[in-house]
Amino acid sequence: MDNHQFKEGVKAALPIVLGYLPVGMAFGVLARKAGLTTFEVGLMSLLVYAGASQFIAIEMISKGISWFPIVIATFFVNLRHLLMSSTLSLYFQKNRVRTFGLLSAQLTDESFAVAMSNTSKVTNRPSYLFGLQMTSQLAWIAGSIGGALFGKLIDHKEYGIPFALPSLFICLLVIQINKVRHLWVMVIAGISSIFFKWAFPGNWSILLTGLLASGIGMVIEAAWRDKR
Amino acid sequence: MRIPILILILGMGIVTFLPRFLPMAFLTRWLIPERVKMGLGYIPIAILSAIVFPILFFNEGAEVEIQPHYLLSAIPVFIFAWRVKSLWASVVLGMLVYWGLGFFLQ
Repeated sequence: MDNHQFKEGVKAALPIVLGYLPVGMAFGVLARKAGLTTFEVGLMSLLVYAGASQFIAIEMISKGISWFPIVIATFFVNLRHLLMSSTLSLYFQKNRVRTFGLLSAQLTDESFAVAMSNTSKVTNRPSYLFGLQMTSQLAWIAGSIGGALFGKLIDHKEYGIPFALPSLFICLLVIQINKVRHLWVMVIAGISSIFFKWAFPGNWSILLTGLLASGIGMVIEAAWRDKR
Repeated sequence: MRIPILILILGMGIVTFLPRFLPMAFLTRWLIPERVKMGLGYIPIAILSAIVFPILFFNEGAEVEIQPHYLLSAIPVFIFAWRVKSLWASVVLGMLVYWGLGFFLQ
């Protein structure tokens, strides 16, 4: 563990914390309404730690659906992490399986995107990623327990809270775009994600868009390299 | 703590962990072809676009419907992020704009 890298990672997590605290609170409030205890809320945020699927699970629990269909739904919702984990694998060599176990358990859309916004800080620096992800998950757990305990005091649809994570994602997307072909991939991915979400209800759109748009990106880049 | 909820949480934890863990643990030990690496380089843009665009064009019932409140908030954040590239400042700006627009759009 490298302390300097770890601290850098903690600092990089600040924008995620701004988003996770209120959204985690919203989760805590809804989970309590669905009948979970505060302890169960905290345990789910600790052991599952995947926002979208946690909200879906709460929705299904409140409809009286049993655990098995919820676990299956969770699997499909979170399958998109395959793509992020594969991408991150490019930046780590020569680490123990134990290190990867810890790092991958805390992988989320947000921490992945922040890590990818400056890959030089991530490359073979597991402590940086660990600091970033540990801080993010702590905010998520703190938010969900806070929401479960004091939820009645705050309305999570108020103020700018619904737009915290969308703003983070927009900025992260903009940071990724450095070349004209990146812009093309963004446009293709944007259109296809809307199509996939419309055509396949459920949570397939991120996975399908990820595969399609990165494939097209690869073809565009390969063609561009051949021309030179 | 009720047993069915514990089973639920553990089950969700396991099926969430495996897709996060397996590629990172095993792809790092294999030689990945150049073409695949090229494709993986576009995963962040693809996934972020697939998260951002549906927020602007789908309602809460997952039907296609332009979301003016989100769309109008997204434009200044997009421009600001382009110029300043600061994550936390974009989050704060986005929240302020969304909050402010709420007074006009109701």
